[in-house]
Amino acid sequence: MKIKITAAILLSMLFTVSCTDLNEELYDRVEDGNFGNTPKEIDALVGGAYSSLRGFADGISNNYPTCEYVFFLNEVVSDEATIPTRGTNWYDGGQYQDAQKHTWKADNRMILSAWRYNYTGIAKINAIIYQIDKSSLTTQAKTPIYAELKAIRAYYYYNLLDMFGNVPIVTNFEDVDLPSNSTRKQVYDFVEKELLDAIPYLNSSVVYSKLTKNVAYSILARLYLNSEAFIGTPRWQDCIDMCQKVSGYTLTPDFFANFATENQTSSEIIFAIPYDSKAGTVGNYMSSMSCHYLHKLTLSPTGNYPWSANGMCAQPGVYSAFADTDKRKKCMVAGDQINLATGSVIIMDNGEPLTYTENLTSLTDAKENEGVRLGKYEMKAGENWERDHDFVLIRYAEILMMQAECYVRLGAPELARPFLQQITARAGEEMPTTIDLAFIDQELLKEFTFEGRRRTDNIRFGTFFDPWWEKGETEAYRAIFPIPTSVLTTNKNLKQNPGYPLN
Amino acid sequence: MNSKNKKLVLHQMWTTKSAVLMIFMLFLSAGIFAQGKKQITGTVYDNTGNVLPGASIVEVGTKNGTTTDFDGKFSLQVAVGSAIEVSFIGATTQKVQITGTSSNLDVRLQNDGYALAEVQVVSVGYGKVKKSDLTGAISTVAGDDLVKGTISSTEQVLQGKVAGLNIIRPSGDPAAGATLRLRGGTSLTASNSPLIVVDGIAGVDINVVQPSDIKSVDVLKDASATAIYGSRGANGVIIITTKSGTKGVSVVYNGLSSIGYVTDNLDLLSANQWRGYMRETGNLDAVDYGGNTNWQKAIEQTAISQSHTLSINSGKADSGFRTSIGYLNNEGVIKKSGLERISGNVSAYQYLGDNKDVKFDMGLFANIDKWHPIDYRIFERAYNLNPTIPVYDANGNFTSVGGNIYENPVEILTNRTVDNKRHRLLGYFKTEVKFLNDFMVSANISLEHNAVKGSTYKPSYAVMEGRTEDGYAQKKYEEYTNAQGEIFVNYNKTLDKHVIGALAGYSYFENIYEGFGAQRSGFVTDAFGYNNLGAGYNYRLGDVYSYKGKSNLVSFFARANYSYDGKYLLTATVRRDGSSRFGENNKWGTFPSASAAWKISSEEFMDGTKGWLDNLKLRVGYGVTGNQDGIGEYKSLSILGVGNDSYYDPVTKTWSLAYSPKQNPNPDLKWESTEQVNIGIDFSLFNRITGSFEWYSKKTKDLLYTYEVPQPPYLVGNMLANVGEMSNKGVELTLNANIIKGDKFSWDANLTLGHNVQKIEKLSNPTYKTDVIYSGSLHGLAGMSGQYSQVIAEGYPVGTFWGYQSAGLGDDGKMLYYNAAGDKVLEGALVDADKRDLGNVQPDLTLGIGMNFKYGNFDLGISGYGMFGQKALNATNMMLNDPNRLPAFNVPDDFLNSGITSSPKYSSYWIEDASFFRLQTLSVGYTLPLKYKSKVRVYLMGENLFVLTNYKGVDPEIGLNAQDGINQTGVMDLTGLAAPGIDRYNNYPRPTTISVGLNFTLNN
Repeated sequence: MKIKITAAILLSMLFTVSCTDLNEELYDRVEDGNFGNTPKEIDALVGGAYSSLRGFADGISNNYPTCEYVFFLNEVVSDEATIPTRGTNWYDGGQYQDAQKHTWKADNRMILSAWRYNYTGIAKINAIIYQIDKSSLTTQAKTPIYAELKAIRAYYYYNLLDMFGNVPIVTNFEDVDLPSNSTRKQVYDFVEKELLDAIPYLNSSVVYSKLTKNVAYSILARLYLNSEAFIGTPRWQDCIDMCQKVSGYTLTPDFFANFATENQTSSEIIFAIPYDSKAGTVGNYMSSMSCHYLHKLTLSPTGNYPWSANGMCAQPGVYSAFADTDKRKKCMVAGDQINLATGSVIIMDNGEPLTYTENLTSLTDAKENEGVRLGKYEMKAGENWERDHDFVLIRYAEILMMQAECYVRLGAPELARPFLQQITARAGEEMPTTIDLAFIDQELLKEFTFEGRRRTDNIRFGTFFDPWWEKGETEAYRAIFPIPTSVLTTNKNLKQNPGYPLN
Repeated sequence: MNSKNKKLVLHQMWTTKSAVLMIFMLFLSAGIFAQGKKQITGTVYDNTGNVLPGASIVEVGTKNGTTTDFDGKFSLQVAVGSAIEVSFIGATTQKVQITGTSSNLDVRLQNDGYALAEVQVVSVGYGKVKKSDLTGAISTVAGDDLVKGTISSTEQVLQGKVAGLNIIRPSGDPAAGATLRLRGGTSLTASNSPLIVVDGIAGVDINVVQPSDIKSVDVLKDASATAIYGSRGANGVIIITTKSGTKGVSVVYNGLSSIGYVTDNLDLLSANQWRGYMRETGNLDAVDYGGNTNWQKAIEQTAISQSHTLSINSGKADSGFRTSIGYLNNEGVIKKSGLERISGNVSAYQYLGDNKDVKFDMGLFANIDKWHPIDYRIFERAYNLNPTIPVYDANGNFTSVGGNIYENPVEILTNRTVDNKRHRLLGYFKTEVKFLNDFMVSANISLEHNAVKGSTYKPSYAVMEGRTEDGYAQKKYEEYTNAQGEIFVNYNKTLDKHVIGALAGYSYFENIYEGFGAQRSGFVTDAFGYNNLGAGYNYRLGDVYSYKGKSNLVSFFARANYSYDGKYLLTATVRRDGSSRFGENNKWGTFPSASAAWKISSEEFMDGTKGWLDNLKLRVGYGVTGNQDGIGEYKSLSILGVGNDSYYDPVTKTWSLAYSPKQNPNPDLKWESTEQVNIGIDFSLFNRITGSFEWYSKKTKDLLYTYEVPQPPYLVGNMLANVGEMSNKGVELTLNANIIKGDKFSWDANLTLGHNVQKIEKLSNPTYKTDVIYSGSLHGLAGMSGQYSQVIAEGYPVGTFWGYQSAGLGDDGKMLYYNAAGDKVLEGALVDADKRDLGNVQPDLTLGIGMNFKYGNFDLGISGYGMFGQKALNATNMMLNDPNRLPAFNVPDDFLNSGITSSPKYSSYWIEDASFFRLQTLSVGYTLPLKYKSKVRVYLMGENLFVLTNYKGVDPEIGLNAQDGINQTGVMDLTGLAAPGIDRYNNYPRPTTISVGLNFTLNN
């Protein structure tokens, strides 16, 4: 009998007795706290703050990489672009129509996307600061890294200030208490202070795509330009002063050099989000969203160009606002579209020719071919769905235009002339005899068409609240967007922006 | 012991070279010299050849006796020349004379009524119990009763066989798996599948076992039964016992050849209908491509399939082995699709010692699958394409008309090469040692390995994703290995009328998964296919990848049984599970259960019912079980990883990879826990009808879900957490009847019915607030980006359609809707508050039915299943009935007369009752008896001969998982939301199949 017990014990010894260890072993990722100790690792962490500028494929708001949606939103609520419903396509719950008619509700997915884009960027930077805090770097080495990270964070908060106004300010990664709103003024002050504090430690040289002193000056200039719209206090002179600190840039002789596939060589771009499909970047879908799906035949006889979604186009009136001599007019694709293989106009499946018209039947029922298309960025045969051109956020032309506008607003329009002259000369346009705000507004439209900043200009000029195309008058509270419904649901400490229904 | 046996023992001694065993044998040999007495061993079988546990063996005229163990085996020392009496309730007692030469006895008892069904041995996890002694809700299906036919996915064998178990196959694709749902599922995540246990090895892929190797399947349904599997038991446990060497020698061949074809396609316009419509409507500009194509038929084929299995079985008194080999070539009814499988199985056992105190048992299962996954986007193309477009142009090339979602589906199927291969392997070794009379220690070690190799090539001339890439090649490999070790001790003791059982054990389970892949595009020549990735000149980040992860699960478990006089039965179990996946604050969970049963029919006061009520048993059970499938590895940790977060370095003009935080850490992450009460009644009537009735109530807490969390402060907007509560309540009925039991003619019938009501009880807790989760994504359908069709909300079941109530079409063909006030309004007048509950995808009733007739040598079998009361969104129909489609896109015939003038919008108009009954199999066979109980059976079988339904789509049986639909259309469902009941261009047709089969059983 003992022998059988022995056998049983022997059997049980097949198993190691100490098999109760439940720690997770990691193979293809690292746990936080085990990273950020070498210069290379620090670079890889800080790099994450820049890569987040591209946005991300977002399952919650269920859309394309979100920076596109920040862009879409600011364009579609402005007087510049539209996403009309075309038959069945582009209805999508009416979110684009609502945006266009300024009847958006708090559950509009574009608004949620814009919120999530900025706060994901902020949270990522907070997490990176936390990692670097824990790293073995000296305090001295950490200071410039923090300055750069906080300046990028201030860029995101600037977006939130502009779009949502009264947003919570969160700076500590470890604090997961549900925050409450700050006032728009507090957010404004925060953005200003964070940038001013960072500037002494930022890189003074011209460094493409990095948050340098020049970029910080430019964001501050934008802040002061819109100060009246944001908090009711005009700061036109502060804007001019800040613009004058920007140095090292010139306008490119060719306007479209800023939008070429290899636009990183432009001497005009102050801040941009780099893209390279070979480096796995995802997003940058402006070209993909606008043209008709047969447009590829105009670029390649074999159709070697990615599908496009036949969505966004210019609002009626935008194309004709450009003089035919204006070199910038080519930022739009209009008229008959020629099949390179046949030399004749492309025929759509319904038998009609593919001719992009300026007018649209209506926002709610546009035909396939209606609307002039966005062609600002280079389109060429052989491109991939993921584009290679960098997405321009700030270029030197804006520094010139800001100064011009401020001088006009300060009652010294002639001081604006030298700045405007550079802009119009490149476009091949004549300067008017008198420079007024209406001229500035039109020039902003033509210079920055589809660059994602028209909403802010409309609000600053007050045109945002006037009726246009299929939109009626807009109430003042819509100068900022509502805080998204799902954010309010999950955080009961937040209050909805004034004017919007609570639910 | 005669010399022959002695030699065998010696032989084994030396081959095992185990000193321990040798000494052990010497002890046993001492018994040989006992005067006048001899040790006999034997096995008791019922009339169908199944072993009988608990049969009593008594030396006639003495009190010397014993009972058979769970394998029907006994050993007893008796006087030479005496006799033993073998008896069992419900069976005729048999007397066996003991002579000087008898040592190994086989006793076959004759059936005497219902009772033999009750002695079936049921696997309950880490042990077996007689059916009559069960206290939990367990359904058993014998191997012979499993679904037959051309089966490429082992789950299918249980379709309609177990009350409360739904098996949903999303399509007729032979390479598609099936989804199992027991009692409604307990989780919001996709992980609602029961735990699969094969020959005692838990957590394996059910497809490692082929249907022909299955001896029986036990489905553990209630928590009192499944709690022994702790944190993996909440969705039920399916225990598969495979065939092993039985007494005698037999060779069995099963062969099947079949033809499968499509009976139901959507009725879309033919080219002539299209032309007629264009003429009538004066639409003369519409482009007519001059062809005449039925695009659905163009991608279909007649499927020719075959299946062969061959097994050899040999069993002796103390050993047995069985081997089998199988080949399946199951063609699909869509061109290129199908599954080819080679499978093999070897199992052997050996007892040692005259008392059979030591048993070694091993099994090896292996199979290799080959298939060519098809791109499910072809179905949408087949519905879209204008019927005037010919498949081939005048030059014999594929016609390619530009346009979105308009690629030639035949071209996609033909030009793309996808070769996948999967290996599955399961091996185990088990040892059992009996000691101190009443104890048995068991030790199991097992290894399961599953690997998939995939190779894809899209040539530079392929329209979809080939041309723009200039050729695209991909190779990938993924594998996982589960290693498991278990040791447990069973104690069984009978003291007069008291029967005591106890179990205690330990288990260690480890899963390691890893994989790698590479892809390239830009090929100068298409000659290499996927065989020379280096020849592609285009390299992108993410083109090469690898990954690896690991998790482990450590468990301690125990069970105690007590019964008095076979009338009062009690069982209690407890398991303590620790998992590496759980968060730091919740590493260990405890899962207890208790159950009791009362055999009312054994009471004296029931004597009056003996004439008709053979058995009546009441069972009550309560238990807590867990579900941890919803937690992936490393989900509780704060992780830095590399994604496609590359960043540009303007100084070096190069790109580098960023390391970013990836998820919100959740140190509280833990299993979902389900409390379940089950009350069951087992009965047997008139010696003909057996059945059981179950009532259950389940409450699941700490529902795992990727909940939305506020941003800020969280890093990302969602987080895997334990928040909500869900309930499932239902009843089940199982009936088996031997309606006619004649020697010449017999008629059996079985019926399973299940009814379940599910409700989400809660979605918020103090930390996480959720009003409603939108699910059933319609993203990717034209005009429906970011739109949802369903809600997960308190008070409703999962899969509740939520939207506007249609009021039909107005006179102008515009869709009208009811607003909240009950008025008919146009779309523009609707507000959110007008949305309402439009029904849900949960069936009210599930049904399985089967009948077998035998007349002489002829047999007839029929089986079917159905689901009733569930709703489905016919999104295919919704998108096809679009006035914007013509002339470019095809439409259903019905559309022309429908008068619809508004663009598709989701509403109750497109939600249909998807109730159905499917005739699963109908077979007719003839058996030719041969010498030595050998036989040949030939049969003819039809599968899926008809479906009774009012559903208008291709098939009312729609997948349960969002992945079934959305992934197949090429758009990732990033939310991971389960979207059951949405028919979305994903109707791989289920074929109707006619087969001819041959079974050969040779016995010696």
